[in-house]
Amino acid sequence: MSENTTTALDLDELRAIVADALELPKEEVTDEAHFANDLQVDSLMALEIVVHLEKRYGIKVAESEFKELSTLLQVRGLVESKLAGGK
Amino acid sequence: MITEIQGSWSLILGVSSGFGRATARALAERGGNVIGVHFDTSDGAEAAAKFADELRDLGASVHFFNLNAASASTRSEVVSRAAELAGMQGVRIVLHSLAFGSLLPFVPDEQDQGTISPRQMAMTVDVMAHSLVYWTQDLIAAGLLTRGAKIYGMTSAGSTQVLNSYGAVSAAKAALEAHLRQLAVELAPRGVAVNALRAGTTLTPALEKIPGSAAYADQCRARNPHRRLTEPEDVAEAIVLLSMSTSSWLTGNVIGVDGGELLTA
Repeated sequence: MSENTTTALDLDELRAIVADALELPKEEVTDEAHFANDLQVDSLMALEIVVHLEKRYGIKVAESEFKELSTLLQVRGLVESKLAGGK
Repeated sequence: MITEIQGSWSLILGVSSGFGRATARALAERGGNVIGVHFDTSDGAEAAAKFADELRDLGASVHFFNLNAASASTRSEVVSRAAELAGMQGVRIVLHSLAFGSLLPFVPDEQDQGTISPRQMAMTVDVMAHSLVYWTQDLIAAGLLTRGAKIYGMTSAGSTQVLNSYGAVSAAKAALEAHLRQLAVELAPRGVAVNALRAGTTLTPALEKIPGSAAYADQCRARNPHRRLTEPEDVAEAIVLLSMSTSSWLTGNVIGVDGGELLTA
């Protein structure tokens, strides 16, 4: 997937946040790694990711929204839409 | 000996709702200082910050951490901060009131909502039971549990009874009670009392997440000898009362705080 030049969201920074929340090496959080199936993410770890994202980007994520997310690229999509909508 | 709560420090795991929240308020009202851990997204986090301010208005020293209470890094951060705050006096009361579990059935049911995975089972028992042991280990290592300290874990009738969707949580409650018994014995030489509080059915946010909980609550209200459900404040009052004794003789129990609800089940 190519970088979207209209947004300032750094995928690598996002990867670092998710890896930090999951206590995993960054390399394991690939763009398409499936959270539950590949990274063994449970609902508490999912909450870790959300709380980290909210603190870093100043956004609000509903539980229902996060349940839909299963990859880093999907997380980026959500954060970007939140940042755009929040302006 | 009976002592006051005034000036003591408490550590409340799960401080933003239910029993943890009510207990924090009850302690602060008596001049107790509160270190609280909760784990909430935006709206919940804002509500918790507001709650902390309300407690400060009562004159208490209050430190809340919006962190996952089941993670080692959280324990490390909070315990070292507790050591700075409480110092030699240590933590008088530790309350484990963490409700974060999977509410899926073990085998498929009519609602076809899926079944519990090994990952979710392990998470539920880790958060709601094992984490108490790890907190206790870290508090002991930091010298924060001194003679007269009290440890409480919140259990429920679900530790011995079956409720729909409550399988993993039920296992966690049974494990928590076992851990509390074990800790009671291991901590007796240190003069630390450890008890499980078996609250009656209480309309907490955690209960409301359980499918069918409204109907269940109605049944419990009807059969409770007091004809009402348990309020978080009932549990908070019991904790305040039990914690005012410096004795560790009352230890290793599962104490019903349910108005007699289990007697008529």
